[in-house]
Amino acid sequence: MRLLISDHLSNAYESLKSNRTRTFLTGLGITIGVASVTIVLALSAGVSQVIGKQISALEGNIAVIRPQSTSSGDITEQQSFAPSTITEADYAAIKATSGLMRSAPLMIVSGIPTKGTTKPSGTSVIATTPELQDIAKLTVKDGQFLDEHTNQQTAVIGEQLSVDLFGSDRSAGQTFTVKGQRFTVIGVLKRFNDPVNFNTVDFDRTAIIHLAAGKQLSGASAPLQQINFQAKDSSHLAGVIRTVDEKLASAHQGDKDYTIVSGDDIARPTSRLFEIVQGVSVAIAAISLLVGGIGIMNIMLVSVAERTREIGLRKAIGASNAHIIWQFLIESLIMSLAGGLVGYIAGYVIAFVISTFLTFDPVFTWQIVGVAAALSLGVGVVFGLYPAFKASRKDPIESLRQYH
Amino acid sequence: MVKKHTKPIVIKLKELKKRYGIGNAEHYALDGVDLIIEKGEFIAVMGPSGCGKTTLLNILGLLDRPTDGDYLLDGKAVEELSSAHHARIRSEQIGFVFQNFNLVPRISVIENVALPLTYKGMRKMKRLKEASRVLKNFHLQEREYYMPAQLSGGQNQRVAIARALVNNPSIILADEPTGNLDSRASHIVMEELSDLHRRGNTIIMVTHNPKLTTYASRVIHMLDGKIASDTKIPVKDESKTEKIPLGHGRKGKE
Repeated sequence: MRLLISDHLSNAYESLKSNRTRTFLTGLGITIGVASVTIVLALSAGVSQVIGKQISALEGNIAVIRPQSTSSGDITEQQSFAPSTITEADYAAIKATSGLMRSAPLMIVSGIPTKGTTKPSGTSVIATTPELQDIAKLTVKDGQFLDEHTNQQTAVIGEQLSVDLFGSDRSAGQTFTVKGQRFTVIGVLKRFNDPVNFNTVDFDRTAIIHLAAGKQLSGASAPLQQINFQAKDSSHLAGVIRTVDEKLASAHQGDKDYTIVSGDDIARPTSRLFEIVQGVSVAIAAISLLVGGIGIMNIMLVSVAERTREIGLRKAIGASNAHIIWQFLIESLIMSLAGGLVGYIAGYVIAFVISTFLTFDPVFTWQIVGVAAALSLGVGVVFGLYPAFKASRKDPIESLRQYH
Repeated sequence: MVKKHTKPIVIKLKELKKRYGIGNAEHYALDGVDLIIEKGEFIAVMGPSGCGKTTLLNILGLLDRPTDGDYLLDGKAVEELSSAHHARIRSEQIGFVFQNFNLVPRISVIENVALPLTYKGMRKMKRLKEASRVLKNFHLQEREYYMPAQLSGGQNQRVAIARALVNNPSIILADEPTGNLDSRASHIVMEELSDLHRRGNTIIMVTHNPKLTTYASRVIHMLDGKIASDTKIPVKDESKTEKIPLGHGRKGKE
């Protein structure tokens, strides 16, 4: 190309400068689009990172039995609404499997921890065995966790729940009720800060009671949400899973209405949901980007129309069609790339502001940089090409005759 | 005339035709134009509206293609070349002067003059130096960094002429260069063109104004797409036709 890129750039700069407001507003459209994409990607990468960290913390020897067959992996299978198919009998059946180090059933009790008239929302009650502490890596900061010696009327509560109920994070010895049943707090959990985890329980807002107490509260049948179990080490896990599967199959008379997941699959139901939420959010953000792109095309078409005579003149003094295409394409590219850069930075600033209200931080990855760059470049090219072609196809004679 | 054989031929047109419309609406804007233009001629093309003089100028400037006939520019047939090739020829061999100046309003005078050099791939510093040198010849050097809107019509047209000249064209094509100017400014601009002619440039000017023919060395009257008359005006002062190199030098001298 005979025309130097620097000439195109200074040319585009002059022309964009001569319409500052217009350039700014057009670039702003791209800024908003790229910023929203960046926010969504940065925050959802943060969520994935949280789940990923948990999975790697599981040391590869934990498996989870969940009710219902999730082999199809379909998100519409709402396990939480279906009556659970796993019972305490199953827990009893697998408890003594050889190679199995510890196991903990998880029973969600339908009740709200209550103190007087205080009924904090968003809280849950789960009934389990003392082994949960080790499997879920829970730390007690005040008092102790449940063990074989603590009685049925004791509970360990999350820090936030403690604050909500008693106005203090040190509430050992205090009492609260669930469905009229009185429980004494024997320990408060250290802040867990992970509402997203494989137990699908926000431990900060949960009261943990003995399985037997839970059974009393929800009737004798005692359906379980899930059973976590931990093999002696990761090499034993496959064998343990196989044995547990056999035991459950015989207990369920061959009815495969449960699933045993391990490794990355444990986090899958939640991360799958996030994938969908992320996909939808990105799609919505992409719409704003599309609107920004239409803005670029619109303004470039106006610019081409306004500068018809200039195009004619440039052709008369020696500009080829390619020169004209580049002239306008580079203008739209400058707007989209500059808008995209500002949008990327703004997106992270906003993501960090948002994250102060959330329990996870936005994550910086090169993928997001790539996506933001590719999107701005793509928008600039896609929406700049048509006006540029239109400009280059103008007949110089007609163009020069304009406004005569 | 002896001159005829000593001066190289810049433009040669043979049976040039330009048709607009088809069928019943068919109309020849140019209907068989034969023309030979030598280097250093100052041609005034006259004629009523619609006689085809602007079409002729557009074809000479490679902005339009003839329907039929041959066009040789500097001895080379150009009508068959690609549009990209045409663009290159325009950037290297042709200078345009328009009735309404056609300066780019948002860049300074010197940048306007330097604009054609951009398309020759010249670097910015060199472009501006060239432009500055040409502007000096038009006594506009102190206005280099003015914007076109800050200059008078006559000055704008002189800037436009400087722009047409900056790439050392073989021919300068002027379409009603004084059409938008008052008589005083017209006179200055015509003096400028006349001066270019004396320095050896080839100028083809389309005009309505019969007074302007006094500056020309040859007057062509067109009618209905044909050349009706072609008169060479005897040179008034021989010494003035001598080639005086322009500030930046003519082609071949660099």
